[in-house]
Amino acid sequence: MSTSTNARNAADNSRRPSATSGAKSRVPSSRLAAKERPLSSGEVIPEDSASNPPHRRNASGTSKVNGGGGRFSERQTARVHLATRDNLQVRTRSPVKVPVKDEADERISSDLPSKQDSRAAERSAPASRKEKLILPPWNPQASLIPHTTAPLASRISIPTLSSLLPESLEPEPSKDLTANKQESVILGDLLFVFMGYEGQYIRYAEKYDPSQEKDRLIGPDFRILPGLDPSLRDLTTSVLKMATHYKAMEAFVEVQSREEFGAINHALCASISRLLKDYLVLIVQLEHQLLTNSSFTLHLLHLHTLPTSHMMFQLYTLGQEILKKNALLEDDLDDSVDGFDDVDNILEQLREGGDLAPGSMSKKVCKGGNVLRLLTERLAFMSGDPAARTLLRTLLRDASRPYMAMLNEWLHHGGIKDPHGEFLIKEQQSIKREKLEEDYTDEYWEKRYTIRDNDVPPQLEGVKDKVLLAGKYLNVVRECGGVDVSKEVKDVPTSFDDPQFLDNVNGAYAHANSSLLKLLVTTHALGARLRSMKHYFFLDRSDFFTYFLDLSASELKKPWRLVNVGKLQSLLDLVLRQPGTVAAQDPYKEDIKVQMKNVGLTQLVMRVVNVRGFDQMPAPDTEDKYRTPATKPTTEEEDKMTGFEALEFKFSVPFPLSLVISSKTVFRYQILFRYLLSMQHLEGLLVNSWEDHNKVLSWTHKSGDPKLEMWKRRAWTLRARMLVFVQQTRYYCTSEVIEPNWQALMARVNGDNQDKNGRPGSQKVSRTVDELMEDHVDFLDTCLKECMLMNSKLLKIHSKLTSACQMFATYTSTLSRTLFTCTPLLAGTAPHLSHLTSTSHRHKTAPQIPEEIKTYDAKKLDNLTDMLGKYEYNFNHHLRLLLDALDYYAATETVALSRLCAVLGSATEGGGDRKEL
Amino acid sequence: MPREIITIQAGQCGNSIGSQFWQQLCLEHGISQDGNLEDYTIEGGDRKDVFFYQSDDTRYIPRAILLDLEPRVIHGIQNGPYKNIYNPENFFVGSQGSGAANNWAAGYAAGDTVQEEVFDMIDREADGSDSLEGFMILHSIAGGTGSGLGSYILERMNDRFPKKLIQTYSVFPDTQGGDVVVNPYNSLLAMRRLTQNADSVVVLDNGALSRIAADRLHVQEPSFQQTNQLVSTVMSASTTTLRYPGYMHNDLVGIVASLIPTPRCHFLMTSYTPFTSDNVEQAKTVRKTTVLDVMRRLLQPKNRMVSTTPSKTSCYISILNIIQGEADPTEVHKSLLRIRERQLATFIHWGPASIQVALTKKSPYLQNTHRVSGLMLANHTSVATLFKRIVVQYDKMRKRNAYLEGYKKEAPFHDGLGEFDEARAVVTDLIGEYEEAETESYLDPDKGKDKAEAN
Repeated sequence: MSTSTNARNAADNSRRPSATSGAKSRVPSSRLAAKERPLSSGEVIPEDSASNPPHRRNASGTSKVNGGGGRFSERQTARVHLATRDNLQVRTRSPVKVPVKDEADERISSDLPSKQDSRAAERSAPASRKEKLILPPWNPQASLIPHTTAPLASRISIPTLSSLLPESLEPEPSKDLTANKQESVILGDLLFVFMGYEGQYIRYAEKYDPSQEKDRLIGPDFRILPGLDPSLRDLTTSVLKMATHYKAMEAFVEVQSREEFGAINHALCASISRLLKDYLVLIVQLEHQLLTNSSFTLHLLHLHTLPTSHMMFQLYTLGQEILKKNALLEDDLDDSVDGFDDVDNILEQLREGGDLAPGSMSKKVCKGGNVLRLLTERLAFMSGDPAARTLLRTLLRDASRPYMAMLNEWLHHGGIKDPHGEFLIKEQQSIKREKLEEDYTDEYWEKRYTIRDNDVPPQLEGVKDKVLLAGKYLNVVRECGGVDVSKEVKDVPTSFDDPQFLDNVNGAYAHANSSLLKLLVTTHALGARLRSMKHYFFLDRSDFFTYFLDLSASELKKPWRLVNVGKLQSLLDLVLRQPGTVAAQDPYKEDIKVQMKNVGLTQLVMRVVNVRGFDQMPAPDTEDKYRTPATKPTTEEEDKMTGFEALEFKFSVPFPLSLVISSKTVFRYQILFRYLLSMQHLEGLLVNSWEDHNKVLSWTHKSGDPKLEMWKRRAWTLRARMLVFVQQTRYYCTSEVIEPNWQALMARVNGDNQDKNGRPGSQKVSRTVDELMEDHVDFLDTCLKECMLMNSKLLKIHSKLTSACQMFATYTSTLSRTLFTCTPLLAGTAPHLSHLTSTSHRHKTAPQIPEEIKTYDAKKLDNLTDMLGKYEYNFNHHLRLLLDALDYYAATETVALSRLCAVLGSATEGGGDRKEL
Repeated sequence: MPREIITIQAGQCGNSIGSQFWQQLCLEHGISQDGNLEDYTIEGGDRKDVFFYQSDDTRYIPRAILLDLEPRVIHGIQNGPYKNIYNPENFFVGSQGSGAANNWAAGYAAGDTVQEEVFDMIDREADGSDSLEGFMILHSIAGGTGSGLGSYILERMNDRFPKKLIQTYSVFPDTQGGDVVVNPYNSLLAMRRLTQNADSVVVLDNGALSRIAADRLHVQEPSFQQTNQLVSTVMSASTTTLRYPGYMHNDLVGIVASLIPTPRCHFLMTSYTPFTSDNVEQAKTVRKTTVLDVMRRLLQPKNRMVSTTPSKTSCYISILNIIQGEADPTEVHKSLLRIRERQLATFIHWGPASIQVALTKKSPYLQNTHRVSGLMLANHTSVATLFKRIVVQYDKMRKRNAYLEGYKKEAPFHDGLGEFDEARAVVTDLIGEYEEAETESYLDPDKGKDKAEAN
């Protein structure tokens, strides 16, 4: 863009106020227009300013066009000027006593843009304030300063202080003037002062340093040059406060509209600057009065400014409060310890690779909800003052607009447009959904969106959880594309005081909740998912699993490190595809994967129970972390662990459902699964040994030796008791624990359907997704608890018992041959009958029975009896312990255990009595 | 497919029961008379492949082998409504067509000649299954074919399938005489094989069946059709856990293992309640079926399908209750406690005294007026009295050497009547075993004595 265009633009801007300077109201608007200009064509001017920038405005109310000349060009409220000469020279005061209206036009033509590095001079000015005498000729300059992040900020450099005024330019001392003259001089000065500039007789207090941001924010104190008539002085002093407040508010707007203060502050600043504009209108009116009304007195001016003064005071106190919170003023500096709250933020930013915002670390920033909170509190505090209330209410309404926009976006679209981190919901960008697919942790749900607890506006305090959930739900719905959330939201309140405000939140929450529930339960068939989880982890139709165990027995018998997982997987796939199994119809059978767990069930659960309790069930990775120290002592056991003990299923769940079926819950499923698996495996072992006992001749043959027969009977009985123990425990775990709890869970998941069927309120249903998730975890925890998996003592005893059973089962299966040697009649004949001990017939023709077992050995029977006695004792002992412990815990913790206790108690009666005798 | 069970039905009685059983299974699984699925069936929920396999044209075919030495019953089946579901290759009818003439020895001897053909069938069926669990043999022990040929097959099965479970549903003769005079001979001889070669024997007693039919169904002279319906109901109920898999009891061996702690005591009794028109036509309606009610009824001797004369000492060795329908586990638990409190069931002193419960679904295709129905499989020592009766009747006839001519003619008795004596020894041994099981000294011979001395 050419310079001339710019100049024209600038001229336009400057013409407006001057042309209409008669119509006073226009002047401040031009000022505003000038202020807004950087917003509209901001990118152009700085570029040009390098060569020949148009100076649209200077900071003083008056300008001296001819460099250093004594020509008093004007005395105008308009402060937009173009310097026509090489140097734009700005006088902070006008020595003119009589306003010269006509000069406006002349000024325009004569003003020319110029650029001089006046900032350097200006900067050095304060430092050299005291050495004004040796200063070069009075040559005050103002210039454009580069853009800051605050769009509302003035871009004109700070004008030179009048205290640096050379002696020669000092006005005539007021004491030399008449009272009337004094009043008119002061009135003139006051108009400047009201706009924040120094007058001839009213100047900034000595200690005020405009280059200090803090000073500016507090606002300058004014001093009146001595010599004024006391009555005038007192009246002047009383109106000066307003000027201070105005100046301070101007600085406030300048500072608070910087980017880092966020949209709420920006909106607040915009609202305040609107008020400041009104204020300027008042000043113009006063000027008009002054110019046209000869009877206008200082007293009248005082009266006219009273309400505005009050308003400015309110603004000022509010501004000060906000600034204090922002630690821009000294008072609150100690509070910056709170900076630790921001650690997450900082980490987040570091992770994102971005720079740390300079303000965010060192300074506490009061923005967003806190500003709203402050406004609200003040509103409540000031409720007795109608003027202040109206003012604050306006401010609050304006300031909350961007917040409400964010809130509505969140409530109705599930999105967050919050570049300044002001919203009460915090989004962790680093937690991505994509990551979730590969390692679906709970992070997404729990950590991606959080409430900034100390940043919640009071209006939302009561409903913040609902707000969080509503958006969270919608977010999920949107990410799954299940629902069209892009449509325009209409009829939503735009401010906090809207009566529909709470309805809006509640309505949005209800909508989001039902959409997500619908998405989960209907679109993504949560019920069916859970059902297939039940098939695979609880083995509610264990036929397919039995078959799988049959097929993979040879593989699973190996130590777990040697197990070929790929082979298992293909076997599992084979089994799952068999027609007729429950899995064949299951749409999710592809998602089930075999894996080997490196920790035994008991150790794993013990560790979890001991270290944390199940409340903080570790996610798989964290659990690995704290396992490392404990690894060493258990490695030996772990090495011995067979595939049966290490087998585990993994179930991958696609995104929205993984919120409910999270890794936390899958971990619980896996524990239950491994527990059931261990019991089923044990039952299988005992049944195998039953088969041996029933099929192998050495067991079934009735020998003449009563001792041997007794021994056999005892062995059979022990096996039967173990089998009953295992089967009863399984029955208890499945039919009495898992199934009823499962039914209850499903009733809650599908509860709404039931209600429609005319059973309203028959059962408390999961009404929110979070409740649903809670129900799910509760269900699993209940199952774990009632299956004795939550208590280390029960767990220990139980694992002792199961290992006793396991040892006995393997022991008896090796006995079939030994028994031949103990059976007098069979001892010699063993070889040709031994085919019964093995599956194959070939032994018939090629007997390979070692020589030593062909002969009858009576001593062996005694050995056997001893061994059996030990097994019996071991089993009885631990069973007794288990029953006692169950009894105890049933009374103290988990009532359901009493049922197991009763069942097992009767199941093992005979043995217990025997022990006592 | 996994855990298949092959059914072998031998003789008149076995085939009649069998055809009724298959009819029942077809109804329960929604299989039509030609083997196709009915339109109303829904996929999933049941395992048809335990008892059926699918032919190339996806018809369901029973894993059944039908054996008889005389053609009457089998012809009846071949002309009956369900003729098309069976594999025609699986019918075996003796070539002479004369049958075994109610002679165990004739049936057994015929086994030798027909065995090749029969075992071809069995092997073919066994090869056609992925992981064969075992065999179910349906027969009566009073007659000739079921008893004799059945015995022969039992013996051979042990050699051929040493690891497979063999369960028999054996119909014992009515103790009040009956139509076959020589049934004590036949029974005793078959008993020996049941004791030595079967893993589990479900004892069904014709006398008790008639009694129950008369009692429950108010029929003075129940027809075979009606009693067979009773049996098929029991059979289908005892296999529901296999066909409608749940958490547990998905394989036959698991069920049987828990019921039979010691190998020789493997004779199981059954009770079923309620019998209604759903199972048997003209049954009396039983209005209330709570779990407790069902479980209590199951323990009542009059509902047992075996007529025994329990003594004071007779007791249960084990019980498995299969509860079908909507049974609430808590109700089950309460019922178990009640039964225990009132001591409705006495158990052996030396072993686990528990009533195990298996909860299963009912077939969705059968209209059922009852919420809950139950089957009890029980191992009870009083079954020995049934055997005793057989031995007593045998002894009576043997003393008179009555009807021995027919036996002497046949192969097993060419070397004399030693076979009878051996069988008697085995059976008395078994009776002894059951009697010992009633005592406290079953595991420890000194124990009883200690007590006696202490007293």
